[in-house]
Amino acid sequence: MKPLLEIEDLHARVGDKEIIKGFNLTINEGEVHAVMGPNGAGKSTLSYVLTGKPGYEITSGTIRFKGKDLIAMSAEERAREGIFLCMQYPVEIPGVPTATFLKHAVNAARKHQNLPEMDTFEFLKLVREEGRKLGIDNEMIKRPVNVGFSGGEKKRLETLQMSILKPELSILDEADSGLDIDALKVVAGGVNALRDGQRSMLVITHYQRLLNYIVPDYVHIFADGHIVKSGDKNLALELEEKGYADFVREK
Amino acid sequence: MAGLLQNASLWGDDIPWLCALREKGTDVFTRLGVPGAKVEDWKYTKPRLLNADDFVLPEAPAQHSCSCGCEDYCDEGCGCRRNIPLDAYQIHFKNGFRHPEHNHFPEGVTVLPLDEAIAGNEDCRRYLGKIADIETAPFAALNTAYLENGVFINIARGIKLDKPLVIICHTCAGERNLFYNLRNLVVMESGSEAEIVEYFHYDGIEKSRYFVNVVNEIAVGKNAVLKHYKCQDDAYKAAHVSLSAVQIKAGGRYQNFCLQKGADMGRNEVRVKLQDKGAEARVDAAYKMSGWATLDTTTVIEHLSPETYSEQLVKGVVDGEAKGVFQGKIHIAPHAVHTEGRQLHKALLLSDTAEIDCKPELEIFADDVKCSHGAASGELDEEQLFYMRSRGIDEDEARRILVEAFLDDVLLKVDSEPVRNWLKTML
Repeated sequence: MKPLLEIEDLHARVGDKEIIKGFNLTINEGEVHAVMGPNGAGKSTLSYVLTGKPGYEITSGTIRFKGKDLIAMSAEERAREGIFLCMQYPVEIPGVPTATFLKHAVNAARKHQNLPEMDTFEFLKLVREEGRKLGIDNEMIKRPVNVGFSGGEKKRLETLQMSILKPELSILDEADSGLDIDALKVVAGGVNALRDGQRSMLVITHYQRLLNYIVPDYVHIFADGHIVKSGDKNLALELEEKGYADFVREK
Repeated sequence: MAGLLQNASLWGDDIPWLCALREKGTDVFTRLGVPGAKVEDWKYTKPRLLNADDFVLPEAPAQHSCSCGCEDYCDEGCGCRRNIPLDAYQIHFKNGFRHPEHNHFPEGVTVLPLDEAIAGNEDCRRYLGKIADIETAPFAALNTAYLENGVFINIARGIKLDKPLVIICHTCAGERNLFYNLRNLVVMESGSEAEIVEYFHYDGIEKSRYFVNVVNEIAVGKNAVLKHYKCQDDAYKAAHVSLSAVQIKAGGRYQNFCLQKGADMGRNEVRVKLQDKGAEARVDAAYKMSGWATLDTTTVIEHLSPETYSEQLVKGVVDGEAKGVFQGKIHIAPHAVHTEGRQLHKALLLSDTAEIDCKPELEIFADDVKCSHGAASGELDEEQLFYMRSRGIDEDEARRILVEAFLDDVLLKVDSEPVRNWLKTML
């Protein structure tokens, strides 16, 4: 099995505060890993460190993606290399139609792959096809990005972007927050459609619920900036029963 | 070598009323001069460039030939003609002198060189110099001192102009510090409708210095509709000062949109008098600049009658060490009840050294009115930038998209889709 993402002894901070403290994780091609942790464990920080958000400083450690040094890459380079962050709180961008935004994203990826830009007709066809599966209609993609979208619509748009960009590594940060059960099924369906034995996922969550729909190969318990225990999907169930307190104490 | 007031031989010195008007302009400008730091109206925009002593007045072209040697203006690289992608009537000025043209206007539409109108048109005489108050506008006084070139437009009662009328002002200054004036008079008779676009640009010599001084006097008659758009794209060392003075009769509607993006010192001032019941004005503007430029949007809206309406949205993007200025005054006269006046200014600062000065002024002397103003300035949203970058979009591209999005809603105030699309390409 080929490793896709290799994180070794990662330390990172925001301002003066160290949040990631000696984090290790290897994700191979085709694997789905869940990272579960209590509030304040540093879960969102982990997702931002991996995607290169400004303000998150890596103080030591290495991250390799497809063997390349990820830390040296800008946020946009990481995206073009195949990393996608499905955000907990997708950002509203007034004045930018969703379709325009999606087209820029698609063409940025195509340019990176030395492919010609997709023309409008081809692009709209792609968006319609993928959108239909997620219950996203043409009206929705004419609206400005996420502006006035319900929680469910925002997450569906995240999933649509994932479906179109087809990343090698999808990072899902609390993908179920703000979703009712029907919306959750739609989103999980979109995510599962990308599981083809090649693509990998890092599912970050503090509830086990999501993992009923996106079943992980591995589960890691994340507390105080590093992984305290790893196991298979049953670890999530155990966690649900006992709560985090037991595991955090084990350390 | 000389300052702004020079002895010039002007056309029409045998027309007493014209001479009197020019003389008054000279007197007022002599008295007011180039405004200094103590003049409240010019507190933020310092017209230092205009204290130069090397101004040269352009000479009337012996024949209308172009620097590239063609007989007429052309599409060659000399920039003597810059077509804009609009199905429109076009009037071209070069250094303030009008080029011959081949427009065929429909019946009821009178478009004359200003001197011709002064010589023979009653309406021109009735309105010229009567709408703009030069006592409070030094450069309008200066413009009046040189009153000669420009265009007179009259749309007769009930006539709707079928295409936009575009006034294109080319400046070819070369090495000279050129200074010229342009004076336009627009008379919209009752129930008439028109769209007028002003476009200022230069011949491609980026470093040329010059000063364009424009005054538009506009009379909007009963139930008439005038949409007045402008794009100022002058050279980056140039100065551009413009005053549009507008009076609106009952039920008349006036819409003004100005995009300023060129010049080192640019000021676009719009003064509107809502004279009778039901008169309505929209005065919107956008500005975008970097370097060391100062671009000033100044508006004065006077509600002089009950049930009059005004709305303004002004948005600007400032980068580098540039400075954006917005001064907006809404005056509501004592008896002007049931009026509505709204004003909003928003600016985006793209650098730490960019500056915004904003001065809203509300003078409300009547009860029972709705009046509001707001101002906000900020930077590009880091969360939005990261969101776009995390989707693979280049940082520069993401910034460009966000700036465009910021200006999008003010551009939407431009009713005419072809004009709006053209303005978008100028950003």
